[in-house]
Amino acid sequence: MSTKQVLIFVEQEDGCARPVAFELLGAGRMLANKLGAELAAFVACDSVGELPETLVAHGADRVYVAEHPELATYRTLPYRRVLIDLIAAMDTPPHIVLFGSTTTGRDLAPRIAAYFETGLTADCTELDIGPYEHTNAQDPSKVGLYPDCLYAIRPSFGESLKARILGPWKNPQMATVRSGVMVPLAPDATRTGVVQSVPVHLESADLQLVVAETLRSLGEQVELQGAEVIVSGGYGLGNPEGFALMYQLAACFENSAVGSSRKAVDAGWIAHAHQVGQTGKTVRPKLYIACGISGAIQHRVGMDKSATIVAINKDSNAPIFKFAHHGIVGDLHQVIPELIRQLKLQKTSTPDTSHVATHSL
Amino acid sequence: MNIFVLIKQVPDQGAKAGINPDGTIDRARAKRMLNPFDRYALEAALFVRRLYGGTVTAISMGPPPAVEVLYEAIAHGVDQAILLSDRRLAASDTLATAYALYCTVRYAGAFDLVFCGLQTTDGDTAQVGPQLAERLQVPQITYCEKFEIAQGAIVARRVIEGGAQTVRCPLPAVVTVANSAPRLAYKTLRGARRVQQLQRDEAERSRVIRTVNLDDIGADPVRCGLKGSPTIVAATEKVGEIGGNCTLYQGKPLQQLVDDLLAAQVIAPELVKQ
Repeated sequence: MSTKQVLIFVEQEDGCARPVAFELLGAGRMLANKLGAELAAFVACDSVGELPETLVAHGADRVYVAEHPELATYRTLPYRRVLIDLIAAMDTPPHIVLFGSTTTGRDLAPRIAAYFETGLTADCTELDIGPYEHTNAQDPSKVGLYPDCLYAIRPSFGESLKARILGPWKNPQMATVRSGVMVPLAPDATRTGVVQSVPVHLESADLQLVVAETLRSLGEQVELQGAEVIVSGGYGLGNPEGFALMYQLAACFENSAVGSSRKAVDAGWIAHAHQVGQTGKTVRPKLYIACGISGAIQHRVGMDKSATIVAINKDSNAPIFKFAHHGIVGDLHQVIPELIRQLKLQKTSTPDTSHVATHSL
Repeated sequence: MNIFVLIKQVPDQGAKAGINPDGTIDRARAKRMLNPFDRYALEAALFVRRLYGGTVTAISMGPPPAVEVLYEAIAHGVDQAILLSDRRLAASDTLATAYALYCTVRYAGAFDLVFCGLQTTDGDTAQVGPQLAERLQVPQITYCEKFEIAQGAIVARRVIEGGAQTVRCPLPAVVTVANSAPRLAYKTLRGARRVQQLQRDEAERSRVIRTVNLDDIGADPVRCGLKGSPTIVAATEKVGEIGGNCTLYQGKPLQQLVDDLLAAQVIAPELVKQ
């Protein structure tokens, strides 16, 4: 294989790719096009079914498939082995390898990078290709012009800065990519690609760790990433009971979920699964209603791609009003019940455009 | 049980002092603290010793002031500590850091468990634990939130997206501890006295807290610091102050405010439950 390649790692469960895989395909397709490279996807599983066709439809040119009963559930060492074997067997290593910044991607990618002694940038929010000229004479072996360098861009210093991390000296250039940030391509069933089975040689040392049990959806299920409307509460709610109000407001919407800021989670008012932001989830709903959230940068990076942001806060100087689209300055304990009341009124009355026109004057 | 725990001193981002106008950290002026994620790793290490006996060694890499976090670890009950400090480590990325820590662990001796925080608050990569495990050629358990040890193996519950997983793994292993794990208890009186004693008694201090450099641990300087790092930070850009376009609704009766908001068709009708 001498074609230049961008390779993505596909997370799968029971033969279904997890959403981040499609996001990586979207990002990988863009990079491959810029590089004039092939976009390849790697799947490890016990039985791949129709997954390769799905991956091709979403942008892959080639799908490497490692099938083995021991690969049914993700485990570090067997997955590490097959992926290392695949890359090591190539005439030229992939130019770029991408993983999701998930519990799986963050578990596996560092081991692969350490094995190949190559760079790995964590939790990227933007990727691009560009030239880079290294002039730092402290390390003369690295000086030179690198035309096809991966620009791995990630937030740093508590998300107040965006850092561009480069490592063009050695391929593969690797990155993990924050989930919910890259945009998947619409599937195209007419796309064609190559499906290539790869050999699996596992050693007994690879199988020392066993998975006894996997439980999904422990307790309450929080589907922040698929929700069209997110009602999010912060420390300004004042107490854990404030979240009852968040649920009441969320109930006014189709396909909604309740989010929170880190401070409310740290205060123990709501489970971490609800947290939006740097150490929580990245979301991009159609409507984000931020209640009693000041708008710290750590929160902002998780939600500022929302189509419409409405903020409710007592403090008209709260940073959230710098990036919200609409803001009500007021006590959320009064504003939200009124908002709920009016939303309920709206739904009982038939759409009345004259009503809208009157008030928008 | 021979237990190692890796801890790091990080800038306190909550403190305003030490933050440059462009948002970067002035590391010389910044207030420093123990990486909050490492508190869970420390608790896990001390938990193992409480239940199964053994010795806990805290290991840190950083400039000389990083010894402060080792004192803190001792105040919490850690038995001994190693500080890897060497100017040649400057500008290490995660790969170079994991290599240097690997050499330090190798220098420190045989181990049953190495605990690490999930990530640091200054780097936020979560990479050093797995990269260390790769160098040590041992299995790893990342995102561990609960565990027990039985018959030479660790049985652990780890966090995964939307759930949890129970795994069983023979020792030795590297474990990164999630922040949903038990919190670190208070410093002990005995630990505090131990720190006082170390601060008075130089001979005892250098016996309990060993400071080592790259030569001591047999690390190849070419694989450390800037030279040993395959990645560099090529550019930083302040995250812009966006907006200023927010339509504010204020200074009117409550009902009117909400009325105005809805009248502006901010909330698309199709999103509202019918």
